[in-house]
Amino acid sequence: MTPTPRRLTAQSRRTFLTLIGAGVLGSTVLAGCRTEGGGASSDPTTAGAVADGVLPTYTALDYVEPDFPSVNGSTAGFATIPAELVQAFDAPPGSGSTFTAMTPLWGAIPPSTGNQYYDAVNEALGSTVKFQISDGNTYGDKLAAVLASAADVPDWVCIPTWNIPPRFDQAVETLFEDLTPFLAGDAISQYKHLANIPTDVWKFCVFDGKLKALPFPGEIITDAIFYRDDIFAEEGITELPTDGQALLDLAKQLTGGNRWGANDLWNTAVIIHGVVPKWQINDDGTLTHRYETDEYRAALEWNAALFSQGSVHPDAVANTGDAKQRFESGEVLISNDGVGGWHEALGRQLATNPSYSQRPFTPFAADGGSPVLWKGNPANIISFLKANDDKAKIEEQIAIADFLASPYGTTEYALINSGVEGVHYNLGDDGLPIPTELAATELQPTYIFLADPPVVNTKVQYPGFVEAFCTWMADASQYVQDPAFFGMQITEPNEFGSLAQPMTDLESDISRGRKSMDDLDPAIENWRASGGDELRQFYQDILDAQ
Amino acid sequence: MTAQTQSPEVGPRAAVASGGGRRSGGRNRPVARKVSLRARFARDRSLIIMTLPAIILMAVFAYVPMAGNVIAWQDYSPYVGIVNSPFVAWDNFVRVLSSPAFLHAVENTLVITAFQLVFFFPIPIILALLLNSVVTPSIRTTIQSIVYLPHFFSWVLVITIFQQMFGGAGLVNQVLAGTGTSGFDWMTNPDTFLLLITSQSVWKDAGWGIIIFLAALSTIDPSLYEASVVDGANRWRRMWHITLPALRPVVILLLILRLGDALTVGFEQLILQRDAVGSQVSEVIDTYVYYQGVINGDWSFATAAGLMKGVISLLLVLGANKLAHMMGEAGVYQRS
Repeated sequence: MTPTPRRLTAQSRRTFLTLIGAGVLGSTVLAGCRTEGGGASSDPTTAGAVADGVLPTYTALDYVEPDFPSVNGSTAGFATIPAELVQAFDAPPGSGSTFTAMTPLWGAIPPSTGNQYYDAVNEALGSTVKFQISDGNTYGDKLAAVLASAADVPDWVCIPTWNIPPRFDQAVETLFEDLTPFLAGDAISQYKHLANIPTDVWKFCVFDGKLKALPFPGEIITDAIFYRDDIFAEEGITELPTDGQALLDLAKQLTGGNRWGANDLWNTAVIIHGVVPKWQINDDGTLTHRYETDEYRAALEWNAALFSQGSVHPDAVANTGDAKQRFESGEVLISNDGVGGWHEALGRQLATNPSYSQRPFTPFAADGGSPVLWKGNPANIISFLKANDDKAKIEEQIAIADFLASPYGTTEYALINSGVEGVHYNLGDDGLPIPTELAATELQPTYIFLADPPVVNTKVQYPGFVEAFCTWMADASQYVQDPAFFGMQITEPNEFGSLAQPMTDLESDISRGRKSMDDLDPAIENWRASGGDELRQFYQDILDAQ
Repeated sequence: MTAQTQSPEVGPRAAVASGGGRRSGGRNRPVARKVSLRARFARDRSLIIMTLPAIILMAVFAYVPMAGNVIAWQDYSPYVGIVNSPFVAWDNFVRVLSSPAFLHAVENTLVITAFQLVFFFPIPIILALLLNSVVTPSIRTTIQSIVYLPHFFSWVLVITIFQQMFGGAGLVNQVLAGTGTSGFDWMTNPDTFLLLITSQSVWKDAGWGIIIFLAALSTIDPSLYEASVVDGANRWRRMWHITLPALRPVVILLLILRLGDALTVGFEQLILQRDAVGSQVSEVIDTYVYYQGVINGDWSFATAAGLMKGVISLLLVLGANKLAHMMGEAGVYQRS
């Protein structure tokens, strides 16, 4: 299972860029007058570093061998269901408590009462998880408000890393339970499924030297550029783009009548130009921010060209409506999305439109050369447990997480990911599950955002999907490179929180022709002056300390 | 001429009416002052008890939260609380005033206010005058109901309707495309954004705004009109010498209140359209405070900005009220 939209919308992109950010205490002139907000994480020499004693001991656990093995770290896949599923838990792990949980969802929110999926999973857990689901596109805004009021914080909070709110170093300290005593080292051995999660993933759950979160492990490639291959086939389009200009031409060619070539393809522009996620380490050991790179400039120019040639759907220009809905209805034929958006779209569409299909483009570079894909974080979505004096409750939640982390081949995994047989799916002649219409409404990603096993693709219910997905990613994985500071959970000091906002607005303005490329240099200069150079120094110190 | 001799009285008369909610008229005042506070309290006890629920409501939901403004002088973080947040004196105010982004937001706010003062404010008055001239009661109430209705739509709905009508993929553009004309996208054009939001406001709220003017019109003594007709005044002279002077106190009252709101321009309406036209034209004080405070976590900075906005708004109201008094109008309130 993979999450849906990643840094797709302007909103999530904006918050992603402020990553792990920090409040906003802006002007440097006044910075001396106040105490620094952060804890030890503000000290660059320790930021991102993780002491060995904090991490859980890794114990691999394999119930079944994948049909499509991992290549260079790409996601492995299963095309069949094992004949015999293993029941990993003899008895429900929970002890009857009720926990509230806040999770994001990119889609229609399922009913909370009379939901047979929730009822079945809660019964198997032996505890009740009550979900408070919020729209994923505006999740960061909601989160900032909820966390600011300690009384309103749910027992279990899912936080996508691109939505981590400002001053999170303080929030994580006061609001959430330190899981180190429960999971560090061999303590994890009583939770065998959690112990099956690789150490790199856990490393990303460490804040300020403490193990604070439970992971939803991520894939090495997080985003893809999708096209509607079913409609392409109808239109007789066989030649797929291999450089940036070809993609522009294709988008233009597809636009006409009430159909448009593309949604806002800013993220596509970033991918095909290989723009670094945050920093680029130069040969002399200095750092260049993504805003300062030629790739970023080229990506902006490319996206502006796409908009100005009229290939973008007007609602995408106005940044309203649902980009996925436009793509799935065929109003728009090219759209970027998180790789997890692929199977979620199939889940929504196949029941009513069996011929629905979408595919990712084979990676290409804007100049036609060799593409560069930057490796995704080991975990992009993590969940926190609200601090609780009653340690038994925390242990109960961890036991639930252990249940949720049951890997493929167990009855637990089948229940969490496919629901109940006869209700959410029926077995077809080939032994593969066929989802029911009820599955399309009830079976939404919810429990999986609290804890999930190491990432594998097991969506056998969509014919041909696992093979298409795994072969695409296995091929794409040859272009994957580690970005600077890969896998490090770095909390930036508060004063850099609002640095990215003007640049994010500028990206939107230049793309839509409201500002020109001439406005970029002054904006970068302003970014440097209002804290960018200090931010660079902050990361430089981390780099030098390594 | 009767109308002219009578009209100057409308002002003072209305003043007594609006300021005269107090128990005594002007002549009784000296007597009232001699009564001791205690005696007055005893005398007005039942009235005071009746106002208590409103006072408690104000205290709990308006005055107690005001104490939270103390974070404007702190480097506040909700995770450590007001007590543990460090005190930074006037730093936040200095930062607000030296922030180009904030000043730009103020500029946008004032431009929108000025534009709407000219192109939105008079529309309900004109509508009310038109409606007042409709004689048939059934037609009048029907029109009234129709123009009130959009007021009850939420901004999300209003903007969605506009998007569906005037957006690049909207109805108008589809019809235009059908006839072979090239379309336009009004919803994403920052140059016409002022016109767009004013049109939305007019469509949504102009009808609602006529209520108070209709009420004022209904208080005009019909005998004034009859007398002026006898004196040979035509329709225009009657409007100029009777109707408009009767509306004047209300118009001035609303203008003063509008001035107090000068720094507040539709938060929801603007934040919903911010992405469509960009922050350059749509960032106003309220949206700026929201992004800085809640989204970027600079709560203290945002509070300082909000507090300054509140103080300036108060000064504007007081100043405008003073001006109204100097011009012999009743204004919002009067000193006893």
